[in-house]
Amino acid sequence: MASTFSFELIVKPDRCFRLGRIICWRNKERKVMSTPNFLAYTVRGSVPHLTPDNLREIPVEALEIPLENFLDIQPPPSSLYPHGAHKFFNFEDFMLFFDIRDPGEFKKASFNTDKIVSVSTLQGVCKITSDTYVKYINSYNPDAVISLADMTTFEKTPGLKRIKKSVNRTLDWLDYALANIKEGIQVFGAVVGHNNHEERIRSAQETANKNVAGFLLNGHGLGATSRERLDLLKISINNLPNDKPRIAYGFENPVDILRGIFEGIDIFDGSYPSKKTEEGNALIFTLENEEFISDDTEKSLLLYLHDEKYKTDFRPLLSSCKCYACRNHTRAYIHHLLRTREMLATVLLMSHNLYHYTQFFKKIREHIEKNRFITFVDQFCQRYDDTCESKTIYQIQ
Amino acid sequence: MKSALTWEIVAQCSRTKARVAKLKLPHGVVDTPVFMPVGTQGTLKGLTVKQLEDLDCQIMLNNTYHLGLRPGKEVLEEIGGAHEFQNWKRNLLTDSGGFQMVSLLKLACITEGGVEFQSPHDGSKMLLTPEHSISLQNSIGADIIMQLDDVVSSLTTGPRVEEAMLRSIRWLDRCIIAHKKPESQNLFAIIQGGLDVNLRRRCIEEMKKRETPGYAIGGLSGGEEKDIFWRIVTLCTDLLPKTKPIYCMGVGYTEDLIVCSALGVDMYDCVFPTRTARFGNALTSKGTLNLKTSKFSQDFRPIEEDCDCLTCKTFTRAYIHIHSTRETVGCHLITIHNVSYQLRLMRNIRQAIIENRFPSFIIQSFKDLFDSVDKYPKWAVNALNSVNINLTSESKNP
Repeated sequence: MASTFSFELIVKPDRCFRLGRIICWRNKERKVMSTPNFLAYTVRGSVPHLTPDNLREIPVEALEIPLENFLDIQPPPSSLYPHGAHKFFNFEDFMLFFDIRDPGEFKKASFNTDKIVSVSTLQGVCKITSDTYVKYINSYNPDAVISLADMTTFEKTPGLKRIKKSVNRTLDWLDYALANIKEGIQVFGAVVGHNNHEERIRSAQETANKNVAGFLLNGHGLGATSRERLDLLKISINNLPNDKPRIAYGFENPVDILRGIFEGIDIFDGSYPSKKTEEGNALIFTLENEEFISDDTEKSLLLYLHDEKYKTDFRPLLSSCKCYACRNHTRAYIHHLLRTREMLATVLLMSHNLYHYTQFFKKIREHIEKNRFITFVDQFCQRYDDTCESKTIYQIQ
Repeated sequence: MKSALTWEIVAQCSRTKARVAKLKLPHGVVDTPVFMPVGTQGTLKGLTVKQLEDLDCQIMLNNTYHLGLRPGKEVLEEIGGAHEFQNWKRNLLTDSGGFQMVSLLKLACITEGGVEFQSPHDGSKMLLTPEHSISLQNSIGADIIMQLDDVVSSLTTGPRVEEAMLRSIRWLDRCIIAHKKPESQNLFAIIQGGLDVNLRRRCIEEMKKRETPGYAIGGLSGGEEKDIFWRIVTLCTDLLPKTKPIYCMGVGYTEDLIVCSALGVDMYDCVFPTRTARFGNALTSKGTLNLKTSKFSQDFRPIEEDCDCLTCKTFTRAYIHIHSTRETVGCHLITIHNVSYQLRLMRNIRQAIIENRFPSFIIQSFKDLFDSVDKYPKWAVNALNSVNINLTSESKNP
C-alpha cells in the first residue's frame, strides 16, 4: 500500500526558525501536522484525564505513545490487537508517534549494553533488545517511530569513551530499525553526543546520512542551564539538513519552547500541559504580540488553582479562551474540585491546558508567517522570563 | 403545601403496580421510573456536564452535607446556587444532610433539636437542625429537597424506632415552616418506621396530611433482610397517594430497580454504579465485569455489544483493562458506561410499561442476569409474586 511522508517548509526566513508541515498519507488517509508543534503526551495510551470526546474538542494533530508504558507484560497484549495502535487507542485521526521511553518523565532505569536498552515499567526495570522493539513497533503500526537511543541522561559526567559508545550504539540500532521497520512507518533517528562537540557533530552527520524521516534531539540531562542545553543542541542542529523535521525533548516552559523554535526545532514533547495539570496549575500566558490586557494574571504564566483566593472568583480560567473548561466553568468551581479531590478538576484543567498549548503553537506559526516572530519572542521573554525556572539572560542577536 | 412540580401518569402496567409518569420540575421534565446518579460534591465523579447531558441524564443528586462544608453556603449564595456553581442546567435533588452525619460521623448524637456532631474541621460541637438543613438546601437551590429525618439503622429494634418515626414527623413540620422557596423547590417528606408495618402505617397517615409534593421511603437499604425490605416498600406504595411521586432512597442494583418499579416506586438513587466503576467494575445486563482482572487483557470486545455509550462505541475491554484503576481515563470510561447502563435500564423499564409488556421484560431481565432459575433471589421471587408475576414458572414457559 502506498504511503508517503513529507516535510514541507512553508516559510524559511534567514534565521534558523521555520514554518512547515508534515503530510502523511497512509491507507488513503491524509494527516497533516503543522510545525512548529508538539506531540500530545500520553500515558498508557490515553491523554491523561481526557476521554475521546473531550480530547476531540482540542485541535491536537499528533500524539506520542511511549512503548515502555506497556512493557510490564511482554508481548504487550495491546500489540496483539489485529487492527493496529491507531484503532486500539482510538487515535485514528491523529498522526501517531512511538518512542521507547516516556519523554516527560525519564525515570532512571538500569544501564544499557550493545544489545539492550533498559526501560522503566510498572513491574520495575526491564530490558528490551533492538529486534524486540522493532517487532512490537511493527505490530502497533504507528505513523512514525523514534529509533532506540543509548541515552547518557543519568550519567553525571560520561567520559569520551562512553559518549563515543553511545553514538555508535545509537547508529547501530538505527541501522537495524531502518532495515527492519516495516514500510509505511517512518523512522526518526536519535541524535546524541552528550556535551562533546565533536561527537554531537559526528552523531548528527552520520544520522543525517541515513534514510531517516527526521531527527530526535533529547534535551533531558543536558547542560546546566537552558541556554547551555540549547547551545549543545545547536551544534547538532547546525549539522542536520533543513528538509527534515526535528523533534526535541525536555523543553518545558513556553520561554524555552520559543528559544528552541528560534534555533530551529520543529516539534516538542507535550508533557508540559500534563505536568501543570497535576500541580493544579492553569496555563494563562498571553498569545498576542500587543500589550496584554491587564488583570490579576499579568506577568504570570500560570494560575495556581489550589489558592484560597479563587474560592469566590467566578471568572473563567482565561477570559479570552474558547476551551471547554473556560466556556463552561469558573475558577471557583475548579478550586472547589481541587479542594475536594474530585477527578473533574484534572479533566477541566487538562482540557484547558492542552487547548491553550495548541493555541500557543498556532500563534507561533501565525507570527512566523506574518514575519513578527522575533518581536513576539522578544516581548514574551521580557514579560515572562523571570517567572520561568531558567533565568538565563537571552538576547536575540 | 405549595408544590413546584406536576405529576402526570402516562402509563400503568396492567398486572403490576408499575407506572410511567412525567415529572415536571423547574429544570425540565423527568421521565419516571428514574435512576438519579449521585454527584456528591457538585460533580459526578469525573464526568463533565456535557457528558451527562449526552447520556440524557435528567436529574442528579448533590449531597447537602458535603456542599455545606465545601464550597459552603456563602459561596453558593454568591453565585446563585448549585446549578450555577456546577453549570448544570437540568434538575438537582439534595438530601437533608442527616444521613451523612449519622453514617460518616461516629460522634453524631440525635436530640429533639437536631443532629449534634463534631465539626470534622476543628472538632467543635455543631448542631444540624431541620431549619438549618432547609436553609442550606434553599441556598443550594435543588429542584427537590428532602426533610431532615431521624435516621436509625434498619437493623434497630425497640422503642428507638418509634421515637425516630415520631420525631421525623415533628421535624417535617419544622422543615415545612422553615422552607423559604416552596414555589421553586419541592420538599419531600421521608417515611420512617423501620421494619415495623404499624409504625410505617402511622407515619404515612400523618405525613399524608402534610401534603408534600412527593414522598420518600427512608430507613431502608441498611442491611436488612431483602424479604422484609420489599414488604415495607410495597406497603408504602399501597398507602401513599397515587397522585404523587414515590422515591425509594439508596436503591441501585438492577434487580432491585426492576422489582421496586413493579411495586410502584418512581425514583431511585445510589452511589453504587459510580463507586463500583472506580474499582474497575462495569455493569452489564448479564452481571458485573471486573475489568481489572487479567483475563480481559486480550479481550477485544466492547463492555457490552449492544450498548451505545461512548465507551462501548470506542474502546475494547482490553483497552479499559490497561487503564482501570491506574489512569483516571479508565475510571471515566467505566463511569460513563455504568451511568449509561442505569439510564438505559430505566428507559427500557419505562418502554416496557408503556407497551404493556413489563411482565415479560422482567422475566427476560432475570434470565439474562442469573445463570439459572434456582439462582433467582428468593425475595425477588416473592416480591414479584405479590404483584402477580410468577418468576419461576413463567421463566420456564417462554
